[in-house]
Amino acid sequence: MKNLGLKSGIEIHQQLATGKLFSRCQSKLISSNPDFTISRRLRALAGEMGKVDVAAAHAAEKKLTYIYEVHNNNTSLVEMDEEPPEVINQDALDIGLLVCKMLNCRIIPYLQVMRKTVVDGSNTSGFQRTCLVGVDGYIKTSAGKVGIDTVVLEEDSARRTGETKDTVTYRLDRLGIPLLEIATAPDMKTPDQVKEVAQILGTMLRSTGNVMRGIGTIRQDVNISIKGHARVELKGVQDLQQIPKITEIEAKRQKAEIDMKRKTDSHVRNVKEDLTSKFLRPMPGASRMYPETDIPTIKVDMDRVKTMNIPELIPERINRYKKLGLNDELSKRMADSKKNEVFDRAMKKQNLNPTLVATTLLSTEKELKRKLKTELGIFPVEFYSRLFKALDEGRLTNESISKVMERFMKGEDFDKIISEFKPMSDSALLKLIKDNYDENLPQGALIGKIMNKVAGKADGKKVAKLIVEFKK
Amino acid sequence: MSSAGDRVRIKHAGFEYSGILLESKDDNIFVLKLSNGYNVGIPKGNSKVTVTGNLQVEKLPELKAEKNLKLPNVSLVSTGGTITSRVDYRTGAVHPITKPAELLSQIPELKKIANISVTPAMSKFSEEFSPDDWSKLAGFVGRELNKENVRGVIVTHGTDTLHYTAAALSFALEGLGKPVAIVGGQRSSDRGSFDGAMNLICGTHYANSDIAEVATVLHGTSSDDYCIANPGTKTKKMHTTMRNTFRPINSMPYAKLFKTGKIEKLRGSNLRHAGEVNVQSQFEEKVALIKYHPGLSPKILDFYVKEGYRGVIIEGTGLGHVSANTWLKSITAATKKMFVGMTSQANYGKVDPYVYSTGRDLFNHGVVYLGDMLAETAIVKLSWVLGQEKDKDKVRDLMTTNLRGELSEKSVPNGFLY
Repeated sequence: MKNLGLKSGIEIHQQLATGKLFSRCQSKLISSNPDFTISRRLRALAGEMGKVDVAAAHAAEKKLTYIYEVHNNNTSLVEMDEEPPEVINQDALDIGLLVCKMLNCRIIPYLQVMRKTVVDGSNTSGFQRTCLVGVDGYIKTSAGKVGIDTVVLEEDSARRTGETKDTVTYRLDRLGIPLLEIATAPDMKTPDQVKEVAQILGTMLRSTGNVMRGIGTIRQDVNISIKGHARVELKGVQDLQQIPKITEIEAKRQKAEIDMKRKTDSHVRNVKEDLTSKFLRPMPGASRMYPETDIPTIKVDMDRVKTMNIPELIPERINRYKKLGLNDELSKRMADSKKNEVFDRAMKKQNLNPTLVATTLLSTEKELKRKLKTELGIFPVEFYSRLFKALDEGRLTNESISKVMERFMKGEDFDKIISEFKPMSDSALLKLIKDNYDENLPQGALIGKIMNKVAGKADGKKVAKLIVEFKK
Repeated sequence: MSSAGDRVRIKHAGFEYSGILLESKDDNIFVLKLSNGYNVGIPKGNSKVTVTGNLQVEKLPELKAEKNLKLPNVSLVSTGGTITSRVDYRTGAVHPITKPAELLSQIPELKKIANISVTPAMSKFSEEFSPDDWSKLAGFVGRELNKENVRGVIVTHGTDTLHYTAAALSFALEGLGKPVAIVGGQRSSDRGSFDGAMNLICGTHYANSDIAEVATVLHGTSSDDYCIANPGTKTKKMHTTMRNTFRPINSMPYAKLFKTGKIEKLRGSNLRHAGEVNVQSQFEEKVALIKYHPGLSPKILDFYVKEGYRGVIIEGTGLGHVSANTWLKSITAATKKMFVGMTSQANYGKVDPYVYSTGRDLFNHGVVYLGDMLAETAIVKLSWVLGQEKDKDKVRDLMTTNLRGELSEKSVPNGFLY
């Protein structure tokens, strides 16, 4: 590969865990049937420099009808291209600025939202709103520094849900979800290096705690060129593990093109399941961008950017949790969880067991949801801080945690629940043991019987100890 | 000195940016287009600019005026507005297209429907229109209509006051024997989703149809499926931003129009006929529309009387009311001096003075009830009637007589919320 003169860069598109970028709808995908659909056509028009973009013209030539699926409760007229955009989502912009800082980028002083012409129907307006936030950064890798060319905040496109010969159907739920696009310089010379950079960037983004998780929330494009061939962008790379193989296949394809003296124009290709790729469209040019006139220039508050703290990276956090005594598996899961801040706050208390707190945060809620067959209610941070405070102060036993959570989930008042799970006094426990003592039962069964009666209001170890004392 | 269109390098805060300088709306910042297409803003303070070259802007190809003898001739009279606006890359602002041929070159389909000749009548946003502009525009449209080889006329117009102009042309064009389509757009022409393209295509089909009426032709739904042609005196902008903003009020549309040329008629109309149109384009400027609301002082009416206005239209509540307790005195004084007409802010349905005592009081003191005429249509009609007629009784007669479909003989059940 090396002697082919491989140059490679990547573009990462990460969905942010905030509301939509230019509408006040939630960023959530909807599985129920749409309330209604609208059908539209798109036209290729000359851009601000008087040129029709090649990519735009290519898509418009297909003369397709686009059908958009609308859900009344989470679609606004902005997504339908029936209303101008709302002001930019400040939370999303803040994440963008923070990531620029993490990537050592120079932040643009005044941001201008642009319209990037897209006429494949995935944007109702015929353009994607996109905004350059930072340029010229770098990250450190095992093979040295890799340049970050641009950090861009933009709208995600609509979700393709079907197609026929003459139509393409899109759902508007995904349209407008904030995407952070990070584009590296073509500094990578081996496929493994590409994979490493993708991993580093992914980890950095997750470390902010404000990015979406799960399938489809992060997408990678890989840019590849070998000596003598123009840059080719490969879209739809699903898995970082595939990058080396995809790179190798594309480099060979480019080599063959050169050998056969074919045209080697810059273009975009779609990666197929077998990791080969097919031509998608010509490479869009700068002429498809012009200002979003409905949004005034945004002045970046540089003083506020200065006060933003660079988050602890997940690998560092994992090490810290290991030192606290969590096992490897729990350390990883806790460090990668959005509840890591709740965990850190709980660890400032005196009497709490790290493993118990981590398990409560990571597993108990999930188990309860499964048990009660509900998707309702995530526990608020406030709930956990009160729960851990009660545990720390001995007003609650470890055994009652899941019962307390179950009743809270069903809508009961926290203070009322806690008062009912007040730990039993030693004398009350001794009386219970005396009333239920059965000398014919083996020790284990006896403890079980007593613990049933205790109903979570005493620690198992303590009960066992008191039974031994009682026998004497 | 650097100016918009220059290729420049700007040094600011230890960093260098290079690109094409654009005009900036903010005097304190440079706006620069980088080579990747993005625009960025850089503070002017502490910046050093070096000019390195100049940008050459490519001209849009213009529509070639090759006439196809098999196609009908349609005249397009442009006035400005979103439909004939485009983004000016130098300012980043939306500006009117000065050469409408630019627009036609972006909608090549039109060439297959008609030979379109373009007359730029004016170039303004529709909120800047005055009765004087209606008059001027009627002159332009009349001249085109009276050309023997012209099948019909399209007027492109900003949507804000498009319905006022539609009413004005309806009254001004007497004996109309050809179609007049007034077409606007709600999305700018720079984008792929430009709605004005389909509106213009459907408007061209309308101009070639046998419906000899002034009609607004814009989207019928939020989809790009068909346009509706609404009677010029019975339509209103009902949504600030949606494509299907123009709805017929107290009427059905004349027709649905499809891009293919299919026309589905929905109500009766005057049909194409021979004969010249007679342009009656005097409009009186001293008229006013008053929207009544609870607590509104009648002093506003006193003011118009004092200022020598020749007529007012009141957009009253419900069946056509204002507070009898506070307004009757001023009403009595006003009706002695000028025409006072009553319409309803309910939009749909007609006013009626006989149902409540308030209405009877107002009517008995000289207020003229204007049936199901829209307030906007009523003010335009009053302006036009006063432009032609001085006699008070004749003005009253003309205002209460249906001239251009503005007053329905009967209220049709499907005229509500079409």
